[in-house]
Amino acid sequence: MNYFLRRILQLIGTLFVVSLITFAAFYIIPGDPARVILGPEATEAQVEALREELGLNRSMLQTFSDWLTGTLRGDLGESLIFRQPVTDLVAQKIPVTLTIAAMSIFMTIIAAFPLGIAAARKPGKFADQLISVIGHFFLAFPPIVLALVITLLLGLTFKLFIAGEYVSYTDSISGFIASLFFPSIAVAIPKIAVFQKFIRTSIIAERSKDYVRTAKSHGLSNMMVMIRHILPNSLVPIITVLSIVASEILGGVLVVEMVFNIPGISRLLIFGIENRDYPLTAGIVLYLAVMTVIVYFVADILHSLVDPRIRLK
Amino acid sequence: MSRFKAETEVVKVRRRNRVGTALVALCIIALSLCSCANPFRAKSRAPEGGGTYGGEVVVGITQEPGIFDPHTSVAAGDEEILFNIFEGLVKCLPSGEFAPALATDYVISDDATIYTFTLRTGVVFHNGEPMTAEDVVYSISRAAGLETGVPLRDDLSGILSVEATSANSIRIVLESPDAELLPFLAVAIIPRSVADINETPIGTGPFKFQEYRVCESVILVRNNNYWQSGLPYLDRVTFKITPDMNTAFLQLRSGSIDIFPYLDSEKASRIESDYQILSGESNMIHLLALNNDVAPFDNPKVREAMNRAIDRTELIQILMDGAGTPIYSGLSPAMGAYYNESLNNAFPYDPERAVELLTEAGYPDGFRATLVVPSNYRHHINAATILVDQFSRVGIHLSVLTVDWATWLSSVYAARDFETTVIALTSDFSPRDVLSRYVSDAGNNFINYSNPEFDAVFDQIRGEPDEDERILLYHRLQEILAEDSASVYFEDPRNIVAVSKDLSGYVVYPIYVQDMSTVHYN
Amino acid sequence: MQRIIRFRNHSIFLILGGVFVGIVLFCALISIIYLPDDPMATNSMTKLAAPSADHLFGCDHEGRDVLSRVILGSRPTVIISLLGILIALLLGMLLGSAAGYFGGAPDHFLMLISDSIMAFPGILLALVFVAVIGKGLPGLIFGLGIVFAPSYARIFRTGIRQLKDREYILLARLIGVKPPRILFVHLFPGLVPQLAPAIVVGIANMAMAEAGLSYLGQGVQIPQPSLGNMLMEGQSYLVYAPWIIIFPSIYLLFYVLGMYFLSEGVRMKFKTGGV
Repeated sequence: MNYFLRRILQLIGTLFVVSLITFAAFYIIPGDPARVILGPEATEAQVEALREELGLNRSMLQTFSDWLTGTLRGDLGESLIFRQPVTDLVAQKIPVTLTIAAMSIFMTIIAAFPLGIAAARKPGKFADQLISVIGHFFLAFPPIVLALVITLLLGLTFKLFIAGEYVSYTDSISGFIASLFFPSIAVAIPKIAVFQKFIRTSIIAERSKDYVRTAKSHGLSNMMVMIRHILPNSLVPIITVLSIVASEILGGVLVVEMVFNIPGISRLLIFGIENRDYPLTAGIVLYLAVMTVIVYFVADILHSLVDPRIRLK
Repeated sequence: MSRFKAETEVVKVRRRNRVGTALVALCIIALSLCSCANPFRAKSRAPEGGGTYGGEVVVGITQEPGIFDPHTSVAAGDEEILFNIFEGLVKCLPSGEFAPALATDYVISDDATIYTFTLRTGVVFHNGEPMTAEDVVYSISRAAGLETGVPLRDDLSGILSVEATSANSIRIVLESPDAELLPFLAVAIIPRSVADINETPIGTGPFKFQEYRVCESVILVRNNNYWQSGLPYLDRVTFKITPDMNTAFLQLRSGSIDIFPYLDSEKASRIESDYQILSGESNMIHLLALNNDVAPFDNPKVREAMNRAIDRTELIQILMDGAGTPIYSGLSPAMGAYYNESLNNAFPYDPERAVELLTEAGYPDGFRATLVVPSNYRHHINAATILVDQFSRVGIHLSVLTVDWATWLSSVYAARDFETTVIALTSDFSPRDVLSRYVSDAGNNFINYSNPEFDAVFDQIRGEPDEDERILLYHRLQEILAEDSASVYFEDPRNIVAVSKDLSGYVVYPIYVQDMSTVHYN
Repeated sequence: MQRIIRFRNHSIFLILGGVFVGIVLFCALISIIYLPDDPMATNSMTKLAAPSADHLFGCDHEGRDVLSRVILGSRPTVIISLLGILIALLLGMLLGSAAGYFGGAPDHFLMLISDSIMAFPGILLALVFVAVIGKGLPGLIFGLGIVFAPSYARIFRTGIRQLKDREYILLARLIGVKPPRILFVHLFPGLVPQLAPAIVVGIANMAMAEAGLSYLGQGVQIPQPSLGNMLMEGQSYLVYAPWIIIFPSIYLLFYVLGMYFLSEGVRMKFKTGGV
């Protein structure tokens, strides 16, 4: 229990530092949200009046502590540009980002297991080698290039989808899913490559154990051994790795959203940064950090359940 | 109020005190548009008697609107939508003229200090309330900052008072004579009863605001009680936000966008057979602004050398496939009579002369400097690339620094901390607005230009009652700017719009708006 | 049998990786003495010209020779990824060994910082650092170096914590060998099997990060070409002039893929498992 408590404290510390870095950056980088809102022709008096109204004349620490107090009460404040609560804006966009992430994770799982199992059947043989080379190829594919290749090949050449076409989930759920299908593939492909490789390794490791030989000597077919014994036993470390893959997927979604021009959380984030909308940016960064940290945390907990030695350290 | 824009924007001014109905004017414009030549011909027609009613249209836009308060919004991207929701006492027509809208008539006193408007009766706001003289007084006072002391619209700061003289007339009193205020009275009339106009944008325009989905779309629906009978045609207009022109273009090709303005000429030429390609004159001054206070740009010889060192025709060919007009001074040919035609080709491309001038100025081997570009505007980045290449041929080596819009506004525009920058200047409606920034002590004189003669001529214009005299003075101002080579003015690009072949009635405006009221299905 | 396949495998990866990376490195080097054409020269006559004998890779939207731009553009990718990883490694070594060696409060503090950096989406943090340090090569090298440092700090920390209780280290401490000497002579060599592949993968990831930043306009400044900003400039012409982005994409792919293959080869050589 002590271990979990310590991890949670660490986690809160992390989120604090992340927020502090975000605020500090806004005070260092030039640019004034009041000037962005008022436009080029605003007079000094107008800019000053708006700065006062928006509370931009406070010191960085004052702004940060005000924001922190609000955040602890669950109020992330109001976006300077949109004049809407940050929580509302994030709530509008986060389903898009999470849907892509969820679809990518789903794709990763359903593609990586068969591939990993196939590769592990006869290590070193043709199928394994082929999957290994192709896997390495996609593992190293830069996400931007992958997104462009998918647009060019699947979108423009084979006309399977229209790049940048987005259907809101409020209009049509099926259209929404369909419009996010190809971006999700772009996120999933490198992760499939990573994940199938890990599945292959853990299956091979598991198969060399004594009980597998015993099971086989009792006359169970290879298939049965795989389904009944090897897979369930290698599942725990696989789930641990999956949680790490999941956190990486979140990062991948952000990049792919930008290239495919999907109105998810990353466009909102870029908009916030470009317009120096600090409550919006800090709010989104906090959301993303919380998600990443939670995924890591779950991975840690799972890991410590599997391997109690970690808790003792 | 001047504005900046990435894409093509158009403002045309032919201000005359003419009273007529909007529809008559629309027909005139439709004819005049057909005379616009190169390289895209206008094919749009004004709506004829029996246009089809109903239907939905998707318009592609590239800027996040953000603000819906018509008095505080300054971005051109806001305005193109708000034009359909809000209206003022007068309204800009596609010709650049201003026709009475919520007013039926107006009188400007002889000394140009009192404007009196007769209001249109029977106008109803989107929330069902009738528009009253009190609403008009409230709106103009709010925009001019009469209560707070800080005007929301700086161009209305000359207003001393606004008052209702009867149930359907109001009077605006100015501090000092100003015969050129009318264009700015297109400022939106909003209901007094609405506390937060940004949250509930309610106006009198042909369309009602329905929904804003951040980063996705703005949805407008038909205003059934619009005062112009027979308008609008469409039931619903969706402004779809796609910040990247390439993505928008792919959607246009696939048919999920029906109208896309500010298309580049290269892409327009690819879809000519599937879309109506309309184009309109623009009033955008695209320039390489030189900071006149910083060496070596404080030397007029250096500035002249730079003007002669670039090949504007080649630049426009690369940048716009030739769809643009070379310019040499601070006013666009789109300004009609106000434009000084004698300045056509004021600086012919002459690299030898440029090197001579540089040598005379003490820079025989050229010099190095930085060029700041706002990174969100692809058009500016492309222009900067070409300029850097052309200048390098005479020994002027510019290194580019791209900055985001917020940084550009604070560091370059407000603090004037730069050597050179590529930017496009646009104005609302008047030549005075365009040229006012070159007055020595103007707050927006970001290039630090200073010439007492320019200041004197500019002062003279304000008190000059005769329009023809004013035109001559405006010509002189442009000459002075060219004589001093205030900056490197290079092009005025055209505004190219792709419209679905199923639609009629779209008109290219000389300002940055999308007028959806006349658009209808065939 | 198994041994032979392993051996062959890692050779294949090393050879393939070497060839891929070699092509890009060769271009980066050759760009110093030779370019087929002026990579900055704009020309309306060759605007969007398709690949031909005169311009093997075609011309871009401003009529510039894509081949010359790709050759010159691979230079910043190589410079930034190599120098950036050096910075990341130095920072990671400093922080990680301090944390691992001393433990306690410094360890907690340093790990808090590194956790926080890793909780950010990487590209976002790089944006922030580049904005603070300044655009251009030094900003990119240091900015990306900081972002990449925590993962190396972790390798150093974990490795040192595992090794420092070994007998030979304890003995060395007992006879009064100073900490820096213990670190460099006794501890670091033991980390090479984990570090070597991580460094090579880091180079690849840094090249991708640089491309990402340049793609967003925050990296190498136009008109100087880089593989990333060529993607950004060319994306608008994807439909009708795909060669503008295809060739820089292939170069970036060669470099990144080559580095991944090299790292796989190195990893196999040291026989350390894991993903």
